[in-house]
Amino acid sequence: MTTLNSTRLKPTWTLAGNSLLILMALSVFLPFFWLSLGSFKTGAQLNNPALLLFKPTLENWKEVLRSGVLESAYRSATVGLVTVSLSVVIGSMGAYAISRYKTGGSSTRFGILAAQVLPPAVLVFPFLEVSYKFRLNDTLFAVIISHLSFVLPVITWFLIGFFDAAPKEVEEQALVDGLSRFQAFRKVVIPQVAPGIGAAAVFGFVLSWNDLFYALILAPGNSATLPVKIASFNTFRGVELGAMCAAILVAVIPVLIVSFFIQKRLVRGISGGAVKY
Amino acid sequence: MASISLKQIQKSFGEVEVVKGLDLEIPNGQFTVLVGPSGCGKTTTLRMIAGLETVDSGVIHIGDKDVTKLEPKDRDVAMVFQNYALYAHLSVADNIGFPLRSKGVKKEEISSRVAEVAASLGISELLKRKPKELSGGQQQRVAIGRAIIRNPQVFLFDEPLSNLDAKLRLEMRTEIIRLQRRLGTTAVYVTHDQEEAMTLSDVMVVMKDGVIKQLGKPDDIYKKPVDVFVAEFVGSPKMNLVKGHASAGNFTAPSGFQIKVDPKLSGEITLGIRPEDVKITSKDASSKQGKVEILEQLGPRAILTIQSGNQQITAVVDNENLKQITDKTNISINSHLEDHHYFETSTGKRLN
Repeated sequence: MTTLNSTRLKPTWTLAGNSLLILMALSVFLPFFWLSLGSFKTGAQLNNPALLLFKPTLENWKEVLRSGVLESAYRSATVGLVTVSLSVVIGSMGAYAISRYKTGGSSTRFGILAAQVLPPAVLVFPFLEVSYKFRLNDTLFAVIISHLSFVLPVITWFLIGFFDAAPKEVEEQALVDGLSRFQAFRKVVIPQVAPGIGAAAVFGFVLSWNDLFYALILAPGNSATLPVKIASFNTFRGVELGAMCAAILVAVIPVLIVSFFIQKRLVRGISGGAVKY
Repeated sequence: MASISLKQIQKSFGEVEVVKGLDLEIPNGQFTVLVGPSGCGKTTTLRMIAGLETVDSGVIHIGDKDVTKLEPKDRDVAMVFQNYALYAHLSVADNIGFPLRSKGVKKEEISSRVAEVAASLGISELLKRKPKELSGGQQQRVAIGRAIIRNPQVFLFDEPLSNLDAKLRLEMRTEIIRLQRRLGTTAVYVTHDQEEAMTLSDVMVVMKDGVIKQLGKPDDIYKKPVDVFVAEFVGSPKMNLVKGHASAGNFTAPSGFQIKVDPKLSGEITLGIRPEDVKITSKDASSKQGKVEILEQLGPRAILTIQSGNQQITAVVDNENLKQITDKTNISINSHLEDHHYFETSTGKRLN
C-alpha cells in the first residue's frame, strides 16, 4: 500500500484544506444561523446582532402567520409547480428533438438560452403591457407565463445533455419491439432520463420560487408570491427585520430540502448501466 | 418465418454512399451472415431490413409483404443489438415480456410465455433482477429472450457477441445456432469476424464498400473465393498471396520465391495458398528455400511464419509433422497444384 500512502496529502495540507472547508461551511451556515436567531428576537434585541443569549419571542412568527406569508408561499408553490410541469413536458420534447434530430441546427443548443443574456427589465415591460391588455395583471397566470420565459429554456438546455447521453439503441430496440416513436419516447427514453428530469424540475422550481423581479412587477397586490411578500416587510416605517427573518426562513427551508434531493439525483447514473460501451 | 428480398437497395449518409444498389435474397428459415470489414455497409443493410434506416431507393420484401416504407413495429422483426439495449428501468421479466406488452397481450399469457422463454435460456432465477445486476452473458441471454418471445418472422443480430469474452462468445455462438435451428426462424446476422461468420452461417454474404463480393455456403467461399479481397478476408490465418509471373508451369515472384503452378497460366498473376495447404519439409530438397522465423504453438497444430527471400509465408502444420522443425530451421516449401488459387493481378479476379 505504499502507493496509496504516497498519494496522501501531508498533515499540514490536510489541516489547511479542512480549515478552508470549515470557513466555507461557516460562510454558508452563518447567515442561516443569524436568520434563525433573528426570527426569535424582538425589535430591540435585533439592534444587537451579536446578541446570542436572549429570551426568545414568537411574535415574529405570529406576524408571519397574520400577514399571509403562508398564503403567498402557497401561491409561489403553485406558480413553481405549474411552471415546472409545463416546462418539463414541453422542454423534454424540445430537448429530445434538439438532441436526436438536431432540430434547428447546432446553434439551437445554446440559442435557446439567448433570452437569458438580456436583463429581465427588457422582458418584463412587454409582459406587463400584454398582461394589462388581456386583463391578467396581478394574476398568477401572468407570473407563470413570465417564469416560463426563463425556466423553460433552462430546463430544455439542461435536458439536452441527458438525452445526448441516453443510448440510442434502447430506443431503437423499443421501435423494433412494437412501439411508435412517441411511445418509445414516453415509455423508454423518458425513464432513462428520469433522474435528469427530476434534477431539471427541482432546479427550475427553485428558479421560479426565488424570483422577485417578474412577480413584483406583474403581480404586486393580491397575487403576491413569497419573495414579493418578504419584500413587503420593508415598509415606509422601516424594515420589520424580525418578521422578515421568519418569512425568509419560510422561503429558504423548502429550497434547502429540495437542494438536498437535487444533489442526490444529479449524482445518480443516467441509464443504470444496461448498455455496455 | 419468411424469406427476405432486397432489390437495388441504395443508401447514402451525406456524400458517402454506404450501400450501392444491393440485391440480396435471404432464404426462408436459413441463417444468413453478413460479414465484412468496418464500413462495408453490413450494419446499415441490417438496419434497413429492421426499418431503423430509410432506404434512398430500392425495395425490401419480408415474405410477400413490401416493407420498404413500413415502421419497424409493423415489420414483425426482432433485433438483438451489440450492446444488448436492455431497458434499464425494467426487470428481466418485464424486459423479456416487453414486445408482448406493447402488442397488448394479456398479463397472464405474458408471464407464462416469459417463464417459458426464461427456462429455455436458463435464466429463470434472474427474472426479478434489473439489467445492471446481470453479467454480460446474462444480459445477452435476456436480449435474446426478448427477441424470441413473440415468434417474429425474422431475427436480426447486430454483432451480438462482440462485447463478450472469448469463452462466453463461443458458448453463446453455439447457443444461438441451436436456438435458430430449433425455432427455424429466418435469421440475419452481422459480424466483422469471419470465423464467427463461417461457423454460424448457412449462407454467408461477404461485403465490401457497400457491395456484395461473394455469396454462398461458407465452405464454398472458403474453397473458391471470387477475388483477392474475399480470399484474404475469409480464413484465419490469412491466405498467402504472392504477386509474380507465371510461365511454362513455373511461378516466380520478384522476391525470388518460386513454385510450380498450372502450366496453362502465363503472365502476371497473384498466387494464393491457404496456410494449411503449405507443405513444408526440413530436407534440402527444393529450391524454394525458407527459414522459420516464428513458431506459434496452438496445441495440436502450430503456425509457422516463414521468410523466403523478401517473401513472408504463413503455414499451419500439424504437430506430428513438425518433428525437428523449430525456430530458425531452414525448410523447403511446397504445395499441391489443386490447392492453388490464382487471381488476375490487375483486377484481383479469380482465374481458376
